[in-house]
Amino acid sequence: MTAPLLSVRNLTVEFHTSEGVTRAVNNISFDIPHGKTIGIVGESGSGKSVTSLAVMGLLQKPAAKILSGEILFNGEDLLTYDENQMRKLRGNQISMIFQEPMTSLNPVFKVGEQISEALRIHKNMNPKEAWDKAVDLLTQVGIPNPAASAHKYPHEMSGGQKQRVMIAMAISCEPKLLIADEPTTALDVTIQKQVLELMHDLQQKYKMSMMFITHDLGVIADIADDVVVMYRSNVVEKNTAKHIFQTATHPYTKGLIACRPNLGNNPRRLLTVSDFMTEAGEEIKLDAGKVEVFDKESVPEKSSEILLEVRNLVTQFPIKGGLFGRTVDHHKAVNDVSFTLKKGQTLGLVGESGCGKTTLGRSILRLIEPAAGEIIYKGKDIIKAGSEEMRQLRKQMQIIFQDPYSSLNPRMTVTEILTEPLIIHGVGANRAERVERAKWLVEKVGLKVNQMNRYPHEFSGGQRQRICIARALMLNPEFVICDESVSALDVSVQAQVLNLLLDLQEEFGLTYIFISHDLGVVNFISDHVGVMNAGRIVEMDRASEIYKNPREEYTRTLLSAIPKGKAGLVL
Amino acid sequence: MKENSLWKDAFIRLTKDKWALASLIIVVVYSLVAILSACGFIAADWAQEVGASNLAPNAEHIFGTDIFGRSVFQKVVRGTQVAMSVGLATSLIAIPIGVVLGAVGGYFGGWVDDFITWLYTTFSSIPNIMLLISITMILGKGLFAVYVALGATSWVTLCRLIRGEVMKHKEREYVQAASAIGGGHTRKLFKHILPNVTHIVIINTSLQFQVAIKSEVILSYLGLGVQGEPSWGTMIDDAKLELARGVWWQLAGATLAMFIIVLAFNILGDALRDSLDPKLKGK
Repeated sequence: MTAPLLSVRNLTVEFHTSEGVTRAVNNISFDIPHGKTIGIVGESGSGKSVTSLAVMGLLQKPAAKILSGEILFNGEDLLTYDENQMRKLRGNQISMIFQEPMTSLNPVFKVGEQISEALRIHKNMNPKEAWDKAVDLLTQVGIPNPAASAHKYPHEMSGGQKQRVMIAMAISCEPKLLIADEPTTALDVTIQKQVLELMHDLQQKYKMSMMFITHDLGVIADIADDVVVMYRSNVVEKNTAKHIFQTATHPYTKGLIACRPNLGNNPRRLLTVSDFMTEAGEEIKLDAGKVEVFDKESVPEKSSEILLEVRNLVTQFPIKGGLFGRTVDHHKAVNDVSFTLKKGQTLGLVGESGCGKTTLGRSILRLIEPAAGEIIYKGKDIIKAGSEEMRQLRKQMQIIFQDPYSSLNPRMTVTEILTEPLIIHGVGANRAERVERAKWLVEKVGLKVNQMNRYPHEFSGGQRQRICIARALMLNPEFVICDESVSALDVSVQAQVLNLLLDLQEEFGLTYIFISHDLGVVNFISDHVGVMNAGRIVEMDRASEIYKNPREEYTRTLLSAIPKGKAGLVL
Repeated sequence: MKENSLWKDAFIRLTKDKWALASLIIVVVYSLVAILSACGFIAADWAQEVGASNLAPNAEHIFGTDIFGRSVFQKVVRGTQVAMSVGLATSLIAIPIGVVLGAVGGYFGGWVDDFITWLYTTFSSIPNIMLLISITMILGKGLFAVYVALGATSWVTLCRLIRGEVMKHKEREYVQAASAIGGGHTRKLFKHILPNVTHIVIINTSLQFQVAIKSEVILSYLGLGVQGEPSWGTMIDDAKLELARGVWWQLAGATLAMFIIVLAFNILGDALRDSLDPKLKGK
């Protein structure tokens, strides 16, 4: 057996900051053989990105200290290389694709220039040669009309196209090793599928090795030969993809595989990592009672009372143009949308970014004013409601936003955040009473009462989302819109929050509109699903119907784009 | 258990920076000197003759004496009072105008914003020194005119910064969340947005303070500022003629005093920006 291309041995990395020392990577070892793809999975903070930066020699010094280990690339230890030697290697033999295509391209240079830059540095090409090669690379990554596209600036391209440009840059010098750090996380499912296919094809064509970092097991199953699972700075399991998915041994891996909602079955509740291991990392035997699969169709409709009816809703944004910025036209973000929602049910809205699902959600709450149509809530058209009437209605209708980092005011404590809705609506006789209700809900959403004097930045993403959920429920609403409420969370945390939302729905009889781009999540939580495209609901039916018998071409495209793993490995 | 607000975090970070801490101490010392002088505890008899005319610095008079035999050190102390009062008064005038106009313009947008933008663009299109001179011409020379003149010109930067920052925060989800729970404009603007832009006011004030001090010196040097009282500007003005005769200590005293406080405010301003700006947090 030949020596692997890259071999990481006993690597330990620590970060020394003013707040103390954190060990980001703890004594990890793994190999990347020639021409193979290694997937590295783990949740945020598990050390997977730090590992990739260590290989690239891009760790921020002096904060980051490599305490021990070797990174052997073709048998040579990269850790002994100086900056000059590393620079010759980077972009040439090892190159990297980052997560955010929006920010990893330089906005002031044409994409052709950015691709040719690496070629001129590493391959000593003259500008003309480099440019021609750049156009050729753009052709290979499937950019339409490559000769003209090379003259475009990054902002003139879509997210998927930018990621293709990043890939073109990364493979321009035909590297031996390509490191991809969450390259498809910021993309829509359909685009994600195309990009993954492209990366796979290029890997085969150039016989590259690939280190593919992601938190999404579905993506790993699609692309990786071998998988390395990282958890809290350690490698807990490594094996071939097939083995990982079929016979995972570490409880964390099992949890990770189980917590992902998929279209194959309909568990009543999602399993989480905590069903497989304790906080301290000890394995616990899975309680068989928790694996309860049920057929949604067999469940009778919970109620027949219609809570919300939307009729022919239109929301539009002006398009400004001309010399004086006059409104020349309107963009209809929500175009003639109608549906009804019964009490206690969940309507899922799916679609790609820009399809109008978020605008629809906000229009229903009149956070954005709709241009036309009716929103009938409990028999009353709320578009006609005056401002005081609307304020009263807000008690009953709430929203949970996508980004738990920006939806909490950083200058307010949890107590202040939670009691604010009560103060606004004059609920509760005094402060003590309001704080009492806040405490009660804090426990309901799974936080601790002694954390209530803390500020949002002291909580993790999942905890913050729980705070947001508690805030939404403070006024005892009947109707809650969840706008991509779990999209920013790690899969394992996502499962916990989804379970929480279901528990709360059952306990308080809530009615949800659940907006997401993730079809698996929507399928899990919704009774009915509406598929949105270009401002319209193109198809709407019971969740099981949509997934089993999609009528529209667009729905079928969305469904086929979900990562399913090579040869249907898992999902 | 850690329960630090962003403010407390920022303060801890600030005090970890030795230069920032030293600058903060200098600012506090200058402020104390100014207060004591204003209350008449020190340098009250600066106008008294304490020795011969134009004595060079010595053990008794560390900055020497001026042409009338007055202590230059006492004049510098007195000048500190003028300088700090100008900085303070300018801030007191500029902050309310800048914050209110910036916040209102940024929050409400539309014609209100257009008007405010027009107003500060107009103000900033007039060269500052011309505006200062014309205001002192109208109000007459003296300290009060300097306050008004500097206050009227230094709100523009703050207003522009606040407006931009408010526009950014207005779109944040936590403000939308406040709308969703039924919060009105007043609550959103004052309870949610303003506390998140206050750091801009602090950073800007620290940097504007030294600009005001320098402007007072320039105005007084031009004879448009403080009358009948020592200020660093008038001292430097006096030194113009004295230098030819080798009397350098009046210039040195005023310049040194100004140099230290301006430098301190600059370092402090930068350190405040580093420790308060959430964008840089953790770096």
